[in-house]
Amino acid sequence: MVTGVKITLLLLVVTSITSLCLGTVIAIMRMSRIRTLRFFGKLYVEIFRNIPGLFWLLFFYFVFPELLPYGLGNKLNAYENYPIVAAIMGLTVDNASYVSDILRSGRLAIPDSQREVAISTGLNRVQQYLHVLLPQMFRAILPPLGTRMVHNFKNTSLCMAITVPELTWATQQIESLTFRGLEATTIATVFYIALSLFMVAVIIMLEKYYKISISSMTQAKGR
Amino acid sequence: MIKFINVNKKFSDACIPLKNINLEISRGEVVVICGPSGAGKSTLIRVINKLETIDSGEIIVDGMHLSDPKTNLTALRAETGMVFQQLNLYPHKTALKNIMLAPMKVRKLPMKEAEEKAMKLLEKVGLAHKYNSYPSQLSGGEQQRVAIARSLAMEPKIMLFDEPTSALDPELINEVLDVMISLAEEGMTMIVVTHEMAFAQRVASRVVFMDFGEILEIGKTPDIFVDPQHYRTKEFMSNILHAPVFCYNEPQKK
Repeated sequence: MVTGVKITLLLLVVTSITSLCLGTVIAIMRMSRIRTLRFFGKLYVEIFRNIPGLFWLLFFYFVFPELLPYGLGNKLNAYENYPIVAAIMGLTVDNASYVSDILRSGRLAIPDSQREVAISTGLNRVQQYLHVLLPQMFRAILPPLGTRMVHNFKNTSLCMAITVPELTWATQQIESLTFRGLEATTIATVFYIALSLFMVAVIIMLEKYYKISISSMTQAKGR
Repeated sequence: MIKFINVNKKFSDACIPLKNINLEISRGEVVVICGPSGAGKSTLIRVINKLETIDSGEIIVDGMHLSDPKTNLTALRAETGMVFQQLNLYPHKTALKNIMLAPMKVRKLPMKEAEEKAMKLLEKVGLAHKYNSYPSQLSGGEQQRVAIARSLAMEPKIMLFDEPTSALDPELINEVLDVMISLAEEGMTMIVVTHEMAFAQRVASRVVFMDFGEILEIGKTPDIFVDPQHYRTKEFMSNILHAPVFCYNEPQKK
């Protein structure tokens, strides 16, 4: 059970970070000036968002090793932690498609005049993003991004389907080995609820902390 | 200081075209650009710091040729301050931090110096007491004054104003114009797109009238109001000056 909690937390932390990275790359592709990149960005989002996350877990667990060259695929199948790796890949590609859209909407929410004024004072592209655009994006996307991360957390339970020993899997194991399903399930429930609520609380705290800036953003947009 | 030579810009979806613009503005001059909406006034000043590109012709800003790919854009933009129509202070930064950002990042001023400089500029626009306010806590006029201070922080040689008062409540317009007038009196080179004709009469040396992306008339300040030459200018001036009403309410106040 404790291992289950650990694996669940590991999945949550790792996939949150990897999907944020991958999502950023996709979002940049979708807003690129190059048409081909835009196309593949859009294609990625449409494919991964319209196919269930569970499917991607199964895909990375069963199919992906077979697509690789024979030796490499076999090595992967033999690797004892491969289920966890597959779980991370599956959750990441699924979550990243949502994250990229959230990031993109955050960028589009900032009036273009913010970028223009940054240019006109001589800031270069990196500085524009670092000091002007990203801080505002972060504030705008905090609520949807937080919700997405909670979703991602709940999705980790799907990984039981590919034998990842996370919390839900552990609960099932205890149930089938000792028939003490009620206790195990209760503990798992409490854990899931507690962590979800904790995540929500953190998001709300962050939102409160940045509140001044958010209210002024809506005002700036209103002009 | 600024020279437009046969500048042309073709139509694109975001932007009004420019046709055969020839204009020379000397150091310390204040030029007001007016004309109906869609005339290309904003485009004309946006090409000066290359927010928009031109298709043919040449613009020379303080010796820098804009069509030359070797021109250092950062240097160009540091020389030309710009104030926009929209209220666009950085909403996540206080008034002081808004002003400090560019000097610290582009000019690499140390924090302390940037802060002193920003305070001086805030004093200049009469907002030293609001240094710690966020833009949402400032009125539109105050935001625009901070925006002027933010542009001045880069110590530009030229200031471009793109209808700085047209998003403001009528009551707040004068506080912004006062700041601009004091700037003009200090000898700043300014190009101002505005319909505030009282402002134009007071500080502008020349008024440029534009329509259809062309300069239709350039006149010395009193003349273009009293005796416009081009028929479009005549029409425009009589429409915006409301001459009869103006005289009735405020006889010869200006």
